[in-house]
Amino acid sequence: MDFSRDWIGQYVELPAVDELAAGLTEVGLTVEGSTESDGDVLLDVDVTTNRPDCMCHLGLAREVAVRFDKMLRVPSIQLAEVNEPAADAVEVALADGGGCPRYVARVVRGVKVGPSPGWLRTALESIGQRSINNIVDITNFVLWESGQPVHAFDLAKIEGAEIVVRRAEEGEKLTTLDGEERRLDPEILVIADAARAVALAGIMGGLDSEVGERTTDVLIECAHFDPTVVRKGAGRLAMHTDASHRFERGADPEAPKWAAARVAGLIAEMAGGEILAGAVDQRSEHYPAPLAGRLDLGRLEAFGGVEIPREEVVRILTGLGFELAPDGESAWQVAVPSWRYHDMKFTRADGAVYEADLFEEALRHVGFENIPSALPPVEKPDSGSSAPHEQRQRIRSYLAACGLAETINYAFHAAADDGSFGIWAEGEPIRVANPLSELYDVMRRSLLVGLVDSAWFNIRRGAEAVRLFESGHLFPAAGAPELETVGLVMGGARGMPWQRRTELDLFDLKGCVEGLAAHFGVSVEARVADPPGVVAGTGATVHVAGRLEVVGWMGRLELDTPYPVFGAELEVGALAEGERFSTVSAPSRHPAVAVDLTLTHAADLPWREIESAITSAGVENLTSFGLKDRYEGEGVPSGAVNTTIYFVYNAEDRSLTQDEVNSRQRALTEKLEARFGWRQA
Amino acid sequence: MAGGGTPDSVGDLARERERFEREAAEVSSRDAWEALRLRWVGRKQGVVRALLAAIKEVPVEQKREYGQVVNLLKRRVESRLEELEGELERAERQAAIGAAAVDVTLPGRRPALGSLHPVSIVTQEIVEIFSAMGYSVAEGPEVEEDYYNFQALNFPPDHPARDTQDTFFVEGGKLLRTHTSPVQVRTMLEREEPPIRVICPGRAYRFDNDLRHSPMFHQVECLVVDKGITLGHLKGTLEAFVRKLFRPETGVRLRPSYFPFTEPSAEVDITCPFCSGDGCRTCSDTGWMEILGSGMVDPRVLAECGFDPEIYSGFAFGLGLDRVAMIRFDIPNIRVLFENDERLLRQVRG
Repeated sequence: MDFSRDWIGQYVELPAVDELAAGLTEVGLTVEGSTESDGDVLLDVDVTTNRPDCMCHLGLAREVAVRFDKMLRVPSIQLAEVNEPAADAVEVALADGGGCPRYVARVVRGVKVGPSPGWLRTALESIGQRSINNIVDITNFVLWESGQPVHAFDLAKIEGAEIVVRRAEEGEKLTTLDGEERRLDPEILVIADAARAVALAGIMGGLDSEVGERTTDVLIECAHFDPTVVRKGAGRLAMHTDASHRFERGADPEAPKWAAARVAGLIAEMAGGEILAGAVDQRSEHYPAPLAGRLDLGRLEAFGGVEIPREEVVRILTGLGFELAPDGESAWQVAVPSWRYHDMKFTRADGAVYEADLFEEALRHVGFENIPSALPPVEKPDSGSSAPHEQRQRIRSYLAACGLAETINYAFHAAADDGSFGIWAEGEPIRVANPLSELYDVMRRSLLVGLVDSAWFNIRRGAEAVRLFESGHLFPAAGAPELETVGLVMGGARGMPWQRRTELDLFDLKGCVEGLAAHFGVSVEARVADPPGVVAGTGATVHVAGRLEVVGWMGRLELDTPYPVFGAELEVGALAEGERFSTVSAPSRHPAVAVDLTLTHAADLPWREIESAITSAGVENLTSFGLKDRYEGEGVPSGAVNTTIYFVYNAEDRSLTQDEVNSRQRALTEKLEARFGWRQA
Repeated sequence: MAGGGTPDSVGDLARERERFEREAAEVSSRDAWEALRLRWVGRKQGVVRALLAAIKEVPVEQKREYGQVVNLLKRRVESRLEELEGELERAERQAAIGAAAVDVTLPGRRPALGSLHPVSIVTQEIVEIFSAMGYSVAEGPEVEEDYYNFQALNFPPDHPARDTQDTFFVEGGKLLRTHTSPVQVRTMLEREEPPIRVICPGRAYRFDNDLRHSPMFHQVECLVVDKGITLGHLKGTLEAFVRKLFRPETGVRLRPSYFPFTEPSAEVDITCPFCSGDGCRTCSDTGWMEILGSGMVDPRVLAECGFDPEIYSGFAFGLGLDRVAMIRFDIPNIRVLFENDERLLRQVRG
């Protein structure tokens, strides 16, 4: 928001502009930039939403006065009023006292509408406001001076000379000052006369009742409107004005009276006319109650971690408009200025403002740069568990060690891609009600949607291989708990011939999944299945060994890629079940004996069966075995495959003799041959 | 002299010597060397031995000279054989080296390691910094209830501060969390009593998409609640933290600001990591870079979460991890971070 340095300077003595900007920034009014123009300097101040009182020059001047320890000069108002009371000229009724806790009206008769004097035009133009006529300019000036929005009606156009603040009727129409005809509804608060709506309360005036060249009698409106009512009304009409901006953030309920007088005084001075006596000042039962709280210097110092002289606290708070009454040795009862009511209205249960509200005021003017740094004492570590994070970190490190690059994809994607992969969907996906575009309108139920996008991104750029993973949340259904999984994609050929090129296949991928599980002390197995998006005959569900529950899936993905791409996804919860710490068994000190066996068997015999037959045979001193190689082709009958298995025998306490090993291996071989050996059909 | 017969004069000895030199010059293998040795100094048929034995047939007046010349020849033969042996060994070693030699300038085969995402790397660094200070990691859901994301954090319904949050809503009244602060609320509600010292890393979502903003981004938030926690503690912790994450000499500046859930609140600037505060394009010549928001936990939030603000106080701050990753790895814009181009990802070193 832009403010004029010279205008602020009307109310307080200013330092050089750099110092001014730094000072404002230090107290929480960040000056984001400054531009010189015609000898003045325009300051771009980031006024936070809790400080509508600083969205005006006087408000900024107050902060400057405290920051630089100067006097604040609030303009004094001396009105020459005529005898006729304003109350005889206009009636005000608050039909919606919730929406309008206060309405102040003043009347100036016999004005001459015309151009504004030079200083007023300059002031407004300095902050980018257009001059319209003296009356309108004065209302605008007072808004930018005090933060109180003001509206001026042509009193002659106010039917029955009465003002009613009420909700609009369904379908009621009003043409606003910008020339737009607006269709209203009861969500919107209006200012009406005896016949019709004449203004949108707190947002914009009506065209019919605006002050024009022929206006002689002016009705000045300075009201206090409820922030939520204005916010909802402006939202409904998609309008945003200087007035609504301030009301939505909580205006000063005491300001209307001062502002109305200020406007009346300026009108009389610049446009002539007679100010009727007094103001019509209506308050509803919703008018905010005064706020106060207790400030204890000791507690302030303990909270800030800084010593503050007693008189400095008094100077700062008094300068900011708080009223302090001593309450004990070094404590005060503090009355909050009305322009801060909104900010501090959520009080303690007993109605007192939170002391932190007051601490903040003192500390930001003490200056955060003057607060000594310290580390909080640590008596013992936090009682929470970081286990899920640590597990995720180990997963990432392991998969990176496996050669995969970690990716991060958006957690939402196009609805059309929902269901293309994954096994965790339950019913309908969670839809984003206001998506960025239809490309991002449902929450993911498989990490593979994003990973496949990433794989494509790389393949289109000529990647000869893709090896990617991601860990993240899935959103199986509305109301269902989020599920954390890790997803993998792999495919292509890795490395140049010099690097010993590897064609990546399903078993490279499966090895990563098995290895990952084993890294956590969990053994997983694949069972033939047909998960979505997987080429028939290549799919599997993943299970913790021997258990029924599905914890993942894998397979060759059904994609039109230049080389086969394989995918897998695993619930990370399955990894939490293993032993966190691994133990080892010392290898025998005696030599081991290795034996190979080549078994010719039907090609459709699963390895799993051979494996479990060997395990269940319980061969003595057989310490390990595994797949050495597979061969199909010349010399192997069609429909069969040669599986070469390695066996390692070792005894804990002695060297095994070749004869011992041979006889055990022979018995095992006979068993396997008898059960699985190839017989010509 | 004929057929290797006995020389009879010193003149014959000279010819013998010439013969040795010729034969020695032709030796090019171990076998030839061995044959030469046997022929000249072998115990049985060695020429030198025979010449020495022949001294008795030499006339008396020549014996002395003959003896000297034969001894000279003997020494010559022995030294030449030794020399030849050395030459042969060197040649053999040379041949062996030739057989094993490789071009050591050829590229090595590096293990096919993968990589961690830049955001993961900075997250882990931050987690480690705080773990060492006794903090634990707290986590929560990404589809969140309004209560945890807003209301409990002192954003009442229709609060204008909600405008700044650019919320994605999901059907059924929930929303995508706009920050990881709801995890702070959940942590406080779960804990019976302080001390609480947690950090909350995670994904968050806002309706925003340009070169600096992504609709999904990453944050880490920190929460400390205990008796006697001060604004000075917030400052000290921030300084310790950013000086570990960036450079030890990093300057820290707190500017009062406003967040509904902290009071007082502060934006935190650090001296620009690119120019160390001298001013550059990245920091718009200010020397400062705004990196996080912080403050003392608002008493309304403490009260809402069951802690009496008269007894307890706390601080909290939140940091955008994507921004830190971009600074750390010099990544030009946030979109690059989520494109997942392997050519970029695989350059990242942890």
